[in-house]
Amino acid sequence: MTSRVAVLYAPGTNCHEETIAAIERAGGRAELVLLKELMAAETRLMDYGAAIIPGGFSYGDHLGAGRIFGRMLVARLGEQLSQFLDAHRPVLGICNGFQALAEAGILPQVRLGRQAMALLANQSARFEDRKVRLLVTGESSIWTEGLAGEVLHMPSAHGEGRVFFPQDQSPPRVAFRFADANRKPASAYPDNPNGSPEAIAGVVDATGLVLGLMPHPERASLPAHYSQDGLKIFRNLVRWLAD
Amino acid sequence: MAIYSLYVLSKDDPEARGWLEMFRRHGHEALKDFIMERVYWLEGDVNLDRLRPLLVNPLYQTAAEQSQLDPTRGPILEVAYLPAVTDPETPSILEAAQALGERGLEFARLGRRYQFCGLDEGLAQRLAARFLYNKVVERMRRPGEIFQTLRPTGTPEPVRTIPLAGLDDAALLQLSRERSWYAPLSQLKVIQAHEISRGRPHTDAELEILVQSWSDHCYHTTWKSLGLLKRLSAATERMQHPLVVSAFEDNAGGMEFYEDYVITLKGETHNFPSSIAPFGGVATKHGGVIRDTLGFGQGAYPIGGTTLMGTMDPRVAEDQVPPGALHPQLILTESIRATSAYLNPMGIPMRHAVYRCHPGYAKCLALGHSVGLIPAKYARKERPRPGDCAVLIGGETGRDGIHGATASSTGMTAATQEREFAAVQIGHPITERRFATAIPVLRDADCLRAITDLGAGGLSSAAGEMAADSGVSVELDRVPLKDKSLTAWEILLSESQERMLLVVPPEKMGQANTILDRFEIPHAEVGRFTDSGRMEAIWRGEKVVDLEMGFLWGACPLEPIATEEPKRHLAPLAIAEPETAVQWSRAVDAVLSHYHCCDQSAAGTRFDTTVQGRTVVGLLEGRNHSMPTHLSVSAPLYGKPYGVVTTVAFNPFYGDIRPSAAARLMVIEAITKAVAAGASYREMVLCDNFYTPRLTPGVAWDLVQMVEAIAELSVELGVPFISGKDSSSGTFEAAGLRIDVPMTLVVAAMARVPDVSKIVTPEFKRPGNSLVLVADLSRGALGGSVYADVHGQRGDSIYDSGLAADVRARWDAVLALHSRGGYVSASGIAEGGLALRLFEAAFGSGLGARVECLRDGDGHHDGFFFGEFTGGILLEVDPETELDKVLAGIPYHVIGEVTAEPRLLLNEGEKILWSESVSALAEKWHSTFREALE
Repeated sequence: MTSRVAVLYAPGTNCHEETIAAIERAGGRAELVLLKELMAAETRLMDYGAAIIPGGFSYGDHLGAGRIFGRMLVARLGEQLSQFLDAHRPVLGICNGFQALAEAGILPQVRLGRQAMALLANQSARFEDRKVRLLVTGESSIWTEGLAGEVLHMPSAHGEGRVFFPQDQSPPRVAFRFADANRKPASAYPDNPNGSPEAIAGVVDATGLVLGLMPHPERASLPAHYSQDGLKIFRNLVRWLAD
Repeated sequence: MAIYSLYVLSKDDPEARGWLEMFRRHGHEALKDFIMERVYWLEGDVNLDRLRPLLVNPLYQTAAEQSQLDPTRGPILEVAYLPAVTDPETPSILEAAQALGERGLEFARLGRRYQFCGLDEGLAQRLAARFLYNKVVERMRRPGEIFQTLRPTGTPEPVRTIPLAGLDDAALLQLSRERSWYAPLSQLKVIQAHEISRGRPHTDAELEILVQSWSDHCYHTTWKSLGLLKRLSAATERMQHPLVVSAFEDNAGGMEFYEDYVITLKGETHNFPSSIAPFGGVATKHGGVIRDTLGFGQGAYPIGGTTLMGTMDPRVAEDQVPPGALHPQLILTESIRATSAYLNPMGIPMRHAVYRCHPGYAKCLALGHSVGLIPAKYARKERPRPGDCAVLIGGETGRDGIHGATASSTGMTAATQEREFAAVQIGHPITERRFATAIPVLRDADCLRAITDLGAGGLSSAAGEMAADSGVSVELDRVPLKDKSLTAWEILLSESQERMLLVVPPEKMGQANTILDRFEIPHAEVGRFTDSGRMEAIWRGEKVVDLEMGFLWGACPLEPIATEEPKRHLAPLAIAEPETAVQWSRAVDAVLSHYHCCDQSAAGTRFDTTVQGRTVVGLLEGRNHSMPTHLSVSAPLYGKPYGVVTTVAFNPFYGDIRPSAAARLMVIEAITKAVAAGASYREMVLCDNFYTPRLTPGVAWDLVQMVEAIAELSVELGVPFISGKDSSSGTFEAAGLRIDVPMTLVVAAMARVPDVSKIVTPEFKRPGNSLVLVADLSRGALGGSVYADVHGQRGDSIYDSGLAADVRARWDAVLALHSRGGYVSASGIAEGGLALRLFEAAFGSGLGARVECLRDGDGHHDGFFFGEFTGGILLEVDPETELDKVLAGIPYHVIGEVTAEPRLLLNEGEKILWSESVSALAEKWHSTFREALE
């Protein structure tokens, strides 16, 4: 199996460079893969060991954050994606990538084309640039292996990150919660910058392979950054790919 | 073809809630609810059910083929783009529909529907016109109006010739006004003579090109006439600075970085559009200055941005705003929204966000900088060669921004806001983001001989300037249009944003096209560079422009400008020094809560400061990441310790007293802030941005003095200017009233540092450490200060930071101390003086300070505490430090110590003058800006 990580790009993606830098810092190998090239079958998802959808404003956030990216995944790459997920290859969506996974119906459960969660406009109706604390929950996931109970420091920067779940479905597997200075889940602004209920900042699927989170681990991964906590998530991926 | 409608409502809409609150705050309490509905119009043989998943997320949206609004609840207004204009989202919808297999969709449009529950129709219309749409490109649809087709329609006007021969002066000026040229008579007469000598009248396209190329905005006629344009670049040249790669010759300035990289800096003002339509104006301010980075050398990559806004006080009453000017609060809030809406999608980290006010900024100051990174070998452009292809990339060309160059060169009147709305551009960051990704790829594949942006003057300026020494022929029919009704001159002059012009060698065209297609960037080869020495344009088979480059770039007459030292009406400061603790408390509160000193994070937190993963020190750091740093540090090369440090200095008060001295202080302030952090001034460059009123002999005199002062100073300090921009149109006129902006110079400094881990930030680090003020206190520093402003005074002199050699000696001493790790926190004195430095350092650390209150040169305690000793630095050092040795010969004062208790205490010997907890001070400091926004 290949150990390369595909960092997916659509027009408007703008966090791909630092995401690649963070994976490399963690000892992995990453490549930029254009959604367009996947759709044109110039390259295949199965050539990669893991896929990351980085942050940005794909397609200008037109029609809704992550909407077009998500619908493209379903309509054009559904088969490849199913094969990829069936082969137990990890997928990570960061910020806009998380929004795309939700729009595609890949999180909270893989049910391509059927959305079961949404990331709504922040309660403040504003873009919020904050440095947040993320409490790692006990939900098992390859991404947070060995991190349960830790508080990770990393930046968060988005306008639509307020998690919404319909009442009538089983609760999601929460991977991260925004935390306050006492390491407790934060319901209050600005420790919880977007107003997510139950301080939800990240969600993982039942297999533990598919993770989506609003904050940016890649921006807390290099020695020059104020925190290198984000690197722990990428190290987990690299370790998993090596096994 | 059938047209389908789909109306979409969101169940949870914070944006609509935000508008509701805003309208109610603005006195429209009758507004009970405000609802926003989107409508999609879809033309073609469409299966709506197949498109629905794209347009609607059933989790939080509902959709129907009729409006879901209840018309009895209040008037509903429907806004859509003009029929000739393409919606920015249309390409995304068509692209996505295609990808989803819905091939029947031929065109799409969007409408926005607003329901004002509780207001009458007339008021709703007025609010919508002011806040919710831009009538240059959008319109309100009539109820029940039916589309024939959604496709852009319209017919262009034919090209006309406009003979000037025989027109007298009055007729020439009349024509100039009618066509919104704002050209001076001397220029019109030169063009008239040219027409006679070449024996045929000019086409409208030729005339439009001439007047806009010769506008102050493009040609810098004012500065040229005053002999200033080359003054700063000559000073820089004289210095022979080893790190300067490119100064005043390209779209930005370049400085050598490390490992064969160059970093670039450029600042651009966009004052006029931002004054009349702040959202569009400020968004495109960022878009434009970013393209200056992309258009540096053979294409640099933008790694940082800034926003600096000067307005009237946003808290003034409605009747204090001159007729025809927008309320400064609206300019402020819209500018913040625009910066957020443009820089965040661009993925460019915010380095500095600064908001200032002055009663003179009726025509606001809107400045943005862009910092870039480029491999050294691509840092220089090559000249286009005959046969090279002119390739236009990015957005389609529309009606937006026409006459921006000429309009922004003139003053602003009550009528301007209405008449020149067309000069405002619309920003689409997604388009610019696409090519920002692709340009470095094109560059590294050696596809670009040169590249430039399309800004003021559009295609005509970009092609004309690039081909000034050769020639160019443009085929206007190849320019992709979003508005089918554009005629030739409009295509040439359109300032539609997000477009760039590439010079591609013909043998590289295949590869360039492949890369552009890969990144999904619209592109068109619109012409060829020639050796004709002419600018030519063909439209519909006709040569509509044929101008000699020599005439275009060499014939603009410069009118002599009279200069005369202005009489200033200045009064010495008369402020009673605080004597009681209560008086001190009042003074400190007033200074900390002053608009220039207060917590502006309500704006700053709306801008992404960490995208790109390069940020080391952002806008806000310290404990809880909420202390302003007045400093930005990034590490552009991933995994490497090398840093770029930037600072800005923007003080509108000093210029009221003595503009040339104020200009010097801005230079010293910007450099000092970076030196305090540990950046050497020897590895630093500067960018100047002037904003001055429309010329009078007095303004001209001051302007000359300012430029002379900083040119000399830059040489004396050894810190070169590498880029800058001037705007000489800072005047607002209404009802016989003339409001001039203060003589403004904003200075940005950019330094390289070998190791970002050595940067020292302002927050206190350890209780018991000594506080040292490195500053010359022998002169007063309250003139033009925030402290004076809170007393409603300006004063008649500003601080003199002394000889350049002395300033350098202070910096050298501080840098020597820094190099041995001799201090642990530091910040440069600026507005708010020592008081603000101490407060912020305490706030950012959870610690406090006890300070011995000295006296300034005039013998005043308040002058010591609030004086703006520009060039001074507050240092925190280990108490064992032998200061006599490390700061020998330098004016410095040990003023107190860091305390564990979060409290500021000011004493004179045994006597406590004033003391207050940091949290109580913070409350005042927090509230001002929030109140200004509400």
